[in-house]
Amino acid sequence: MFLLPVYILYSAIAYAAEGAQVPLQKPDSLKYHPIHFAPPRAERVLLDNGIILYIFEDNEVPLLDISAVIRTGSNYDPTGKEGLAEIAGTVMRTGGTNSLTGDAVDEALDFFAGSLHVSMNRDSGLLNLSILKKDLDEGLNIFSQIITKPAFEENKLKLAKNLLIEELRRIADDPKKLAFREFKRVLYQNNPAGRFPSTLSVENIERDDLVEFHRTFFYPENIIISVTGDISKREAIAKIKQYLGSWVASGKNNVIPPIPVKQKGRIYFLSKNTPQSIIICANFAPSKKEPDAYPFEVLDFILGSGGFKSRIFQEIRNSRGLAYSTGSFYTKRSDYGVFGAYAITESDSTAKVLSLLRSIVEDARMKSIDKKELEWAIKSINNNFIFSFQSADQIAHQQLMVEYDKLPPDYLATYRDKIAKVQPEELKRAAMKYLSPDETVTFILGNESAYNQVSTRFGNVSRIEDQR
Amino acid sequence: MRILMRIFAFVLLIISFPSLGFSYEIGNRVLSYTLKNGLKILMVERHLSPTVSFYIRHRVGAVDEIDGRTGTAHLLEHMLFKGTKTIGAKNYHEEEKFLKLIAETGKQLDLEKMQGKNANKSRVQSLSERMEVLQKKHKKWFVENEIDRLYVENGGDNVNASTGQDLTTYHVSLPSNKIELWARIEADRMTGPVFREFYSERNVVMEERKQRVESEPEGQLYEQFLATAFIAHPYRRPVLGWPSDMRFLSLEYTEVFFKKYHAPNNTVIAVVGDIDPANALMIIKKYFGAIPSRHLDPSPITEEPPQKGERRVDIVADANPQMIIGYHKPALPDFDDYVFDVIECILSKGRTSRFYRVLVEEKALAESVHAANGLPGAKYNNLFAIFAKPRHPHTSAEVESAIYDEIEKLKTKTVSERELQKVKNQIKADFIRSLNSNLGLANLLSYFEAVTGSYQYITDHIKVIERVKSEDIMRVANKYLAPDNRTVAKLVYKN
Repeated sequence: MFLLPVYILYSAIAYAAEGAQVPLQKPDSLKYHPIHFAPPRAERVLLDNGIILYIFEDNEVPLLDISAVIRTGSNYDPTGKEGLAEIAGTVMRTGGTNSLTGDAVDEALDFFAGSLHVSMNRDSGLLNLSILKKDLDEGLNIFSQIITKPAFEENKLKLAKNLLIEELRRIADDPKKLAFREFKRVLYQNNPAGRFPSTLSVENIERDDLVEFHRTFFYPENIIISVTGDISKREAIAKIKQYLGSWVASGKNNVIPPIPVKQKGRIYFLSKNTPQSIIICANFAPSKKEPDAYPFEVLDFILGSGGFKSRIFQEIRNSRGLAYSTGSFYTKRSDYGVFGAYAITESDSTAKVLSLLRSIVEDARMKSIDKKELEWAIKSINNNFIFSFQSADQIAHQQLMVEYDKLPPDYLATYRDKIAKVQPEELKRAAMKYLSPDETVTFILGNESAYNQVSTRFGNVSRIEDQR
Repeated sequence: MRILMRIFAFVLLIISFPSLGFSYEIGNRVLSYTLKNGLKILMVERHLSPTVSFYIRHRVGAVDEIDGRTGTAHLLEHMLFKGTKTIGAKNYHEEEKFLKLIAETGKQLDLEKMQGKNANKSRVQSLSERMEVLQKKHKKWFVENEIDRLYVENGGDNVNASTGQDLTTYHVSLPSNKIELWARIEADRMTGPVFREFYSERNVVMEERKQRVESEPEGQLYEQFLATAFIAHPYRRPVLGWPSDMRFLSLEYTEVFFKKYHAPNNTVIAVVGDIDPANALMIIKKYFGAIPSRHLDPSPITEEPPQKGERRVDIVADANPQMIIGYHKPALPDFDDYVFDVIECILSKGRTSRFYRVLVEEKALAESVHAANGLPGAKYNNLFAIFAKPRHPHTSAEVESAIYDEIEKLKTKTVSERELQKVKNQIKADFIRSLNSNLGLANLLSYFEAVTGSYQYITDHIKVIERVKSEDIMRVANKYLAPDNRTVAKLVYKN
C-alpha cells in the first residue's frame, strides 16, 4: 500500500537537478516568505465553583493532557519541616484516595498506560495527567479524586520519606546537583527559597502535616486546569464539570512568601575533592513584571545564554577551551529574577575562569553594546518565540501561566514588540543597575587547590559546609 | 515545463495519500525517498505549529574508530560546528595558509609531548608559543561560530548534535519558512567543513570528559561496566574516548574519518513539521543532490565472543554504592530483542513493575532499580542492563540477590495475561506519546532508518510486540539471563 506510491515518486521526480552542483548563495542573503505568527489562543472558561479552565483542541494524536497548577510550593514549607510540599505531592500521587487505595490507583494507571505526575516547585504545584483519549473517564476519575480527597496512606508516606532521605544522602555524588543546591542556599539567605529538606526535617513530617497542606492549598479558587489534545471545548467543559464541578473546599492560603533580598557580594566556597570547579556568579535581576525584564533578557542572551555566539561561551569555551559547560541564565519569576554566569572548569583554571566571568560581566557595565550584537540577539529571541507554542499542551500552559503569574493579558501578544524595541543604552543601564559586583554572590565548589588559588587571588573567601 | 509537470504529479500523489487520524498508522504518512547519490529522506507533513524539525543521521559512531584514536567521532562532531569554506571564512585562500601552519605545528607539538618525560621541554615551549601566535593570526581570517549564529538568529531551536556508538546526529528545529537555510548549511558542512580551532576544541572535549566521567562516579561506573562486559567488540570503549587517546587526537585522522563516513549514501535525513513535501524535496535535492556518493569501506567490526563466565568489577570512589548488571543479547530486529523490550517493562516500568513493587516497596532494599534494553548501542549485539542503587543501610549485595530472585521468577513462572497486556498497553502509549512532537518523530524515524535500514521497524514495532507470549519471556530469560552471561559492576565506597 505504501511501497507503490514511493516507487512512482522516485521516477517522477528524478529530474536533472541531482547532477550539477549549484553555486552557493550566502546564507545571510537567502530570502524567506514571511510567517505571520500570533500565539494561538486557548479558550478560557470559569466554572461555577471558581476553577479556571483552559482548553485547546488538537486532533493529531489520540492523546489528552490534563494539567492542574496550584498556588502552593516548597516556599510555603514550615521551618523545621522542609520537604513537606514535595512529600505531600508524592503521597497525593501514591497514597490513595477515599475510595481507591494507592495500589489500586497505580494498578489502574499502569494498566491503561496513563501517566500521572505530581510535582512541587518553589512557588507552584503541578499535576499532569497524560492519557489516551479512550481512557478519559477513568483518568479523570483518578485525577479528580487525588485533587479533592487524597488519603495519604501511612505506608506510602513512610516510603516517600525514606526515598527522599536516601536521595539527600546521595546528593554529593553528583557535584552539579550539590553545587546548585548550596548556591541557592547562600543566594537566598533568610528566605524560604534558601531552605532545603534535610534528613531531620523530613523525619519531622507526619501525616497530619500532609492533611493540613492539602486543606490549605487545595480549593477550587486556588487551581487552574488545562485540558488539551484530542477533545472538543464542549466535551472538555462537560467532563471537568462532571468530575470537579461540584467540588467545594474551604481552604484558604493567605501567606505570601517574602521576596529574597539582595546581599553584599561575597565569594562562598564549598570544598569537595573533585577534578573540576563549578563556578556561579549571581545577581538579582528584574521580575517578569518589570519593564527592565526586556532589556535584561536581551543582555543575558548576549552575555551567555545565546548559544555559541554569546560572549561567555565564545570566550571561555571557544577561544580558550577552558570549559565544556559555560554560559549564563536568567530565571524570571513573577516577583523577582536571578541572573547567573557559570562555568565548570578544571581545578587549575578556577581563578582564571572566575576572573574571565567577572570581566565579561563588567564589560557589559562599562562598554556600550554594539548595535549589530543587539540586533542579532533581538532577532534570535523573536524568531525563536514560536517554539514556545509547538504543542497543544504548551499553548495552553503559556496562557495559563500568564494568568497564574498575574501578568497583563497581552503579555504574550506584546512580548516580541517589547524585545524589538530594546535600545543599546538600555542594556548598559540594566547591567549597571542589576549587575553590580558589590552585590554579586559568587559560589564555587572545588577542591583545596582551587580554594588556595581563589583565596590568594581574590581574598576574603567564605567557606561553607554542605548541609544535609 | 517538463519539470513543472513532474512536480505537479508529485503533489497529486501526496494529496492522494490517505490522511489517517490514527497515529498508530503514522507509517502511512511517512514519505520516503532516496536520492541518486543514496541519501535517504523521510518526511512527515503536519501543521499545528509553523515549525519544522530536521534530523540528520550519519551511520558512523565511536565503533568505527581505530584503537588509539578513540574519541575521534565525537571530536569530529564538535568540529562540524566550526564553519565551512563559505560559512565563517573571510578569505579562505588566505586562511588556508594559517590552517596548514597550525596543523603542522600542532602535529609536531603532539609528537614531542607524546614523549612524556623524555619530551624536550624547550621545544615544547617554543612550539607552544608558535602555536599561540599562529592561532591569534588565524583568528583574523574567520568569524567564529557562524553556523550556530545563523541557526540561532533565524529562530533555531534545539540546535545540537550528538555522537553515539553507532550514529552521529545533527538536529535543529526552525520556523517552517527556513528550510532552505538548513539545507544550505547542512549540505555545506557535509562536504566542505573547515576544522578551525581544532586544538582548543580538543581541550573542550577533555573538559567534557572530566565533567561527565571523572567528576561523576556514575560516569566511571558505566565506563568500567562496558569495558568489562565487552572484551573484543568496540562497544567496550567510551564514546568520549580514553584520556590518553583524546589528548593527542589527530587532525589528519579526523579529516580522514570525516571523508570516509559522512557520505550521502551513509546518511538519513528526517524532516517533520509544517512543510509542503514537494517543495521540501526540491530544496533538499538542490543542495544535497550533487554531493557525490562514496564507496563505503565495509571495515569489519570485531564480534564479541560468547561470554563464558561471570565478570565482576569494583570501582572505588568517594560516593554511595550503586551497581550495574548486564547480560549479552542479540540486537534488533531479532525477535528476542522485542521480548527484551517487554521484559524491561515488566521489571521496571511504573510503580506496579516488579522491581519497584518488590525491591523498592516491599523489601525496602533499594532507592531505585531500572532495567534498560539495548546498551550501549543498537546496531550490534548489545546488553540488557539493570541499574540499581541500594537504600542505606542495605548493601549492593542484598540488592543484587533480590534482583536475581526476580530474574529467577521470569525463568520459572508464567507472566499473567493481564501483566503482559499492561506492558503492551504501555509500549503502545509511549509510542503514541513520542509522536506528539515534530522533533520526537523526526528523531525516531531517522534513528531506526539509520540503524535497521527501515523506519518501518518503529512504526511496526507494536505489531511485533503484540505477538510476544509468556512462553517467549520464559525462553528468553532462560537463554540470556544466565549467571555465566552476566557482568556486574559496583561502586565501592572509599574509606
